[in-house]
Amino acid sequence: MTTHNLPLTETITPADQAEVADAVRDAYRAGTPVYPIGGGTSLDYGARPTEPGVGLSLAKLNRVIDHAAQDMTITLEAGVTMAELAERLAAERQRLPIDVQLVRLATVGGVVATNSSGPRRYAHGTIRDYLIGVSAVDGRGTAFSGGGRVVKNAAGYNLCRLMAGSLGTLGVITQVTLMVRPMPETSALVICEVPDFDSAERLLARLVHTQTLPVAVELLAGPAWQEGPVMGPMLESSTARLLVGFEGGEAEVEWMVGQLRNEWRDLGVASPLIVLAAELGLMWDWLTGFSAGLQINVLPGATVGLIETLLRLDPGASIQAHAGNGVILVQLSSSEMPPTISSAVANAGGKMVVLSCPDGAAVIRAIKDRFDPKGVLNRGRTA
Amino acid sequence: MHSPLVKELRKRLGHQNVISAPSELAAYDCDAFTVERRPPDAVVLPGSTRQVAQVVAVCRQHGAPVIARGAGTGLVGGCLPVRGGVVVMLTRISRIIEIDLRNRMAVVEAGVPNIKLARALAGTGYHYAPDPASEGASTIGGNVATNAGGPHTLKYGVTVNHVLGVEVVLGDGSIVRLGPVEDPAELDLIGLLVGSEGTLGIVTRVWVRLTPDPQDYRAMRAIFDTVDDATETVSRIIAAGIIPAAMELMDRGILAAVEEAFHFGFPPDAGAVLVIEVDGPTAGLEKQQQRIVEFCRNSGAKEVLQAATAHERELLWKCRKLAVGAVGRLSPSYFIQDGVVPRTRLPHILRRIAEIGQKHRVRIVNVAHAGDGNVHPILLFDERDRQQVDRALAAGRELLEECIRCGGSVTAEHGIGVEKIEFMNRLFAPEDLEAMNRIRQAFDPTGWLNPGKVLPVT
Repeated sequence: MTTHNLPLTETITPADQAEVADAVRDAYRAGTPVYPIGGGTSLDYGARPTEPGVGLSLAKLNRVIDHAAQDMTITLEAGVTMAELAERLAAERQRLPIDVQLVRLATVGGVVATNSSGPRRYAHGTIRDYLIGVSAVDGRGTAFSGGGRVVKNAAGYNLCRLMAGSLGTLGVITQVTLMVRPMPETSALVICEVPDFDSAERLLARLVHTQTLPVAVELLAGPAWQEGPVMGPMLESSTARLLVGFEGGEAEVEWMVGQLRNEWRDLGVASPLIVLAAELGLMWDWLTGFSAGLQINVLPGATVGLIETLLRLDPGASIQAHAGNGVILVQLSSSEMPPTISSAVANAGGKMVVLSCPDGAAVIRAIKDRFDPKGVLNRGRTA
Repeated sequence: MHSPLVKELRKRLGHQNVISAPSELAAYDCDAFTVERRPPDAVVLPGSTRQVAQVVAVCRQHGAPVIARGAGTGLVGGCLPVRGGVVVMLTRISRIIEIDLRNRMAVVEAGVPNIKLARALAGTGYHYAPDPASEGASTIGGNVATNAGGPHTLKYGVTVNHVLGVEVVLGDGSIVRLGPVEDPAELDLIGLLVGSEGTLGIVTRVWVRLTPDPQDYRAMRAIFDTVDDATETVSRIIAAGIIPAAMELMDRGILAAVEEAFHFGFPPDAGAVLVIEVDGPTAGLEKQQQRIVEFCRNSGAKEVLQAATAHERELLWKCRKLAVGAVGRLSPSYFIQDGVVPRTRLPHILRRIAEIGQKHRVRIVNVAHAGDGNVHPILLFDERDRQQVDRALAAGRELLEECIRCGGSVTAEHGIGVEKIEFMNRLFAPEDLEAMNRIRQAFDPTGWLNPGKVLPVT
């Protein structure tokens, strides 16, 4: 577990929700920060906390409470790893269709807190779309829950949505209930080289009207993507690579691959590379494992234009775009961010991961004050 | 009465856009939940977000509740002015601003009816997925307020999964814009606003996600002897990893109503009917359909009808879509309940609903979004007979309690409103409700937005 960037005075490992509540209550009384820690894979997410405080490891909250396979739901404690969750579900030919890095370390609670997602969010969304129940301990040490165990629930405010992506600033997540999905029969990736950014936009715009149903639309550029599994090095003449993923029944996927080839042929893409099921695990891992310093979100139609600008500002940068969603992940070529990037993002109508947002900032502040009045939880993690 | 309030509102909105005559206010004394009524002090018809903001600010100054209202099709009294105040009609704010296919979204004002958006999107290859039963009248703003669902939520999700951005007037009269880029990188305020029933803000504009039209459909209708056989089929389909676009169940009671009204030719001893539809690329549908038909037969279906043409598909869906209306032939009044249980508890809850009906001497017929475990028992009564009304209300309460006992919830897609507020204490612990109250205070510290709804008074 890497906790190097947190100013921890000590780390405690409570055994259950009651002990989590005790720990937070102590911190509340003392006015010291608490830093919840899951698998430690995203501790550098957002701003860096500086005030010394107590690390609160959820490692012992690692029980699967109930896998109601026939109901397609699973209830588990926050410290269960994503790998264990995947194994449990796979035994029933089910899965949570969210791409997450470092699944042997990453915990369910951490994934919810960061609202992690990856390439397949184009079809499957983020974990927010699967969270149907949540329990947490707020900054006073009071446990609360939202949602329930049914897949459709309109009772009360949607605390699940509120907690997903809240970066542990409203509560220490202790237990979740997730809706799960059946494992698809098969999957495939169709990949082409993109000579320039105009072609990239042309291909993406055409994909809006494709007859197929992609689960992922990935645009890759920069040195980090030169070498990868299965595909061989990127062509000298290429500016980027476009990867389109499919999942479903055998006949369906086979038809979609053929159909996309036809659609691309009309746009001058001669012989795309097709990667089939056997090698796909490796490919998804590779696409999910990109380490980016910056996440930018724009409308999908602004993706290519902004990538072009970003590469002009930092020609050595590497970029992965979940292009169908307008999510751009950037690995800068140096640790210094070119100051012009923020204005480029703003011009494109986009947002960066850490942002001082004029929209709703007052309400966000007000919610946080009410859940965590003394700023005990993850102090400094967000603005 | 707030006559200085009415005067002030008229000054801002123009005389014709403020209704205050008691005879006219009576039309706004309830929504589709008709059991409880109270007229508002005034009704306003703003024409823009700015005017909505002005109304909210004026009401705040005068200490008057503000109740947002769309088409008034809500079934739980969400638009009922329980403490009087001003009803804000959003039906004049009803432009489709933009259909933006490149970004797979549409920008619409809150008062746009679902049907208007559906028509505007026809032929584009895209649609807006939520399809509440009231889609002929209900508005997108109303969908957002209640987190509306419909038959197709099993595969496509509910409203919250289809809202990319909102423009919202907060309780202090300020206008805030959230989205439409994905991932707010902060708290998901959109996710909170959707389903908040007008208590956190008044949404005036919505950026909705568009969903590609399926290339093809396969619709089936299976007739079973018993509800258990039908729910068994649903379980087998799900266990096989098939997620149909819809799986609608109708029980004996509702079938009788449909038959009486429209003569579809259901056998008189039919215990349950499932309408199942799969959609997607044609290439994958044949196999899914074959397997579903097989599951139906293995679970004892006595007849499985497969729509071969678009026309046949329409006919097949017709019996489901006409079902609720057909109830009108059986009874002078009825109300539609909304409960949800883990899907495997469907046979149990439907059995219990029948027992509860007998106990209270109330006729109850059922439609259900079976794939979601979402039941819509329809309770029949005569509004003119107070005893019948009371018995129906008691039966409704008891069946919702049973949903809670099964690990479910008292509403899947209608909301809490006033009708279900008494259940909040049973569904949630005091700490949970406190968390929700904090959210409400953060959004609306003075509490003038739709007071008396969603959360019980603490």
